[in-house]
Amino acid sequence: MNWLNDNVNQLALLGAAAILILTIAISAKYFKDIKEGKSEGELKDENWDGIGEYKNNSPIGWSLAFIGTIIWGIWYWLAGYPLNAYSQIGEYNEEVAAHNARFESKWANPTKEDLLGMGEGVYLVQCSPCHGIDATGIEGKAQDLTKRLLKKSVLAVIEEGSAALGDKEMDGQGKFGYSMGEMPPGLVSGADAEAVAEYVANGFKGNERGAEVYANACASCHGPDGRGMDGMSPNLREYDDKIIEAVLEHGKQSVIGTMPSFKGMLTKVQERAVAAYIRSLSE
Amino acid sequence: MFGWLEKNPFFFAVGVFVVIAFAGLIEIIPDFAQASRPLVGTKPYSVLELAGRQVYIKDSCNACHSQLIRPFKSETDRYGMYSLTGEYAYDRPFLWGSKRTGPDLHRVGNYRTSDWHANHMWDPTSVVPGSIMPAYKHMFTNVTDLETAFAEALTVKKVFNVPYDKDIDGDGKIDVVLGDSPADFEAAKQRALQEALVIAKETKREDLVNMVKEGKIPEIVALIAYLNRLK
Ligand code: HEC
Ligand code: HEC
Ligand code: HEC
Repeated sequence: MNWLNDNVNQLALLGAAAILILTIAISAKYFKDIKEGKSEGELKDENWDGIGEYKNNSPIGWSLAFIGTIIWGIWYWLAGYPLNAYSQIGEYNEEVAAHNARFESKWANPTKEDLLGMGEGVYLVQCSPCHGIDATGIEGKAQDLTKRLLKKSVLAVIEEGSAALGDKEMDGQGKFGYSMGEMPPGLVSGADAEAVAEYVANGFKGNERGAEVYANACASCHGPDGRGMDGMSPNLREYDDKIIEAVLEHGKQSVIGTMPSFKGMLTKVQERAVAAYIRSLSE
Repeated sequence: MFGWLEKNPFFFAVGVFVVIAFAGLIEIIPDFAQASRPLVGTKPYSVLELAGRQVYIKDSCNACHSQLIRPFKSETDRYGMYSLTGEYAYDRPFLWGSKRTGPDLHRVGNYRTSDWHANHMWDPTSVVPGSIMPAYKHMFTNVTDLETAFAEALTVKKVFNVPYDKDIDGDGKIDVVLGDSPADFEAAKQRALQEALVIAKETKREDLVNMVKEGKIPEIVALIAYLNRLK
């Protein structure tokens, strides 16, 4: 009899019993009145085709209810509705504010495991339809997040330049993902381009000629170590928080395809979490 | 007069109806008129988007997808801002849907792209493992019915005064160009072809680009234009 432990079920059962008892008692009373009751009192003067009516005071309960309803009506009209009206959007706003407050206090100081767990959750919901559940980009449909850069992408960027995270024309002066703005096309070409692309895509290893070209043509912007000089330009060695922050804010349109902007969709903690998760993939 | 009404129950009933309906009208109509006004800045559908909308209706996407984000945190977290009535002002008919076998699509343009849609509509399981959404390969060869879309746009412009050929956002430019008579169809088709070419290129599928260059817009391109517009 588990269901009897539930207080809603108990209430429903009590209610049913009360209704049954009341129904029987009241109908019994009326049956008795019909059988035995006699009308008495003072008749009114009017009668309608021989049918008369007794003079009665209105029943107290009824009068109280009538006056009570008028008072309640005035209160509801002037204060009840205007001050306490239900609004679905209001309830939503409260729900969101309460949730955000709870979320922020709960994750004020997340540990690395917290971040990775949350990041994986966010990733699976928001990012996996394009980057794939295993994050390898579903056969070139989006960036392979287990590696930093493909040779093909580096070559394309060298040839065409890059303003992939912003809009060159916006407001007549451009809007960019990195404070350095856009990368100009054609900095190097031919075998030099091949070599440096190989070097960069290979994680800054091997290929001496590539290292040389890099130091001459690229280091001034991407830093001698390739780490993007503290977010001035993209880190070419590994994913860092700045890359993910920039791509989530601006989206990206480049050789592989288009990534939409996620501005306003994730909270700060969620952004940090998804960044931590993505960094962990290529470690 | 009331004595007369009492003797004629039919007219009495009519009278009662009118009195009650009046109370309803003064409550409902002002709110309705307010709510059905387009949200500031909402633009009518271009001919290509309308054609895509017709494909959406024809293939019954609304049997599995809703287009109405309710104000619950669980929904706004996933899909974005909840839907407002004014956003549907140019939807005839609206496509709120009543069943979510798949996710809501009211803001899908914010987080999916043309190439993703092309992959997904060609073979949903190629991007979402285990997806039960059917593939729509026929859309990649069927040609869109632009005439009907143009006729629909022209009709709503004339009958409901939908603001085609007007400056809606106040930047001094006409926002959605349409034309005034069936004779403007050729020009409208050229504009639709230009829009379609951009999208076909974004999908990175040669066959779609070639079809558009031949002057035929595949249904999928129109549909993607419509889906990208859902923001
Ligand atoms: C003038 C400064 C500058 C120079 C010189 C420069 N870059 Fe860049 N690079 C940038 C900026 C800024 C970006 C990011 C632009 C954007 O897409 O928004 C970028 C982006 C890139 C990207 C794309 C990164 C990604 O995440 O997709 C690659 C690859 C790259 N650069 C490689 C190189 C190589 C190789 C060289 C040397 C041949 C080089 N860059 C020289 C400024 C520079
Ligand atoms: C609609 C598909 C799509 C979704 C959803 C998506 N991405 Fe992307 N993303 C792409 C594509 C395509 C690229 C490659 C762009 C290029 O370089 O051509 C990319 C590139 C990236 C890059 C590389 C940026 C760089 O500068 O090198 C990162 C990091 C990234 N995405 C993270 C994410 C995260 C995190 C999410 C989820 C919050 C996400 N993406 C959701 C399509 C998507
Ligand atoms: C049998 C039901 C069904 C029908 C009919 C259907 N879908 Fe779907 N759709 C789904 C399911 C289930 C998903 C979730 C799995 C997936 O992403 O493939 C989905 C996902 C989607 C998504 C991705 C949304 C997101 O947020 O990831 C889009 C876009 C979409 N459908 C568009 C369409 C269009 C356009 C049509 C009509 C041509 C259509 N669907 C018809 C069931 C359906």
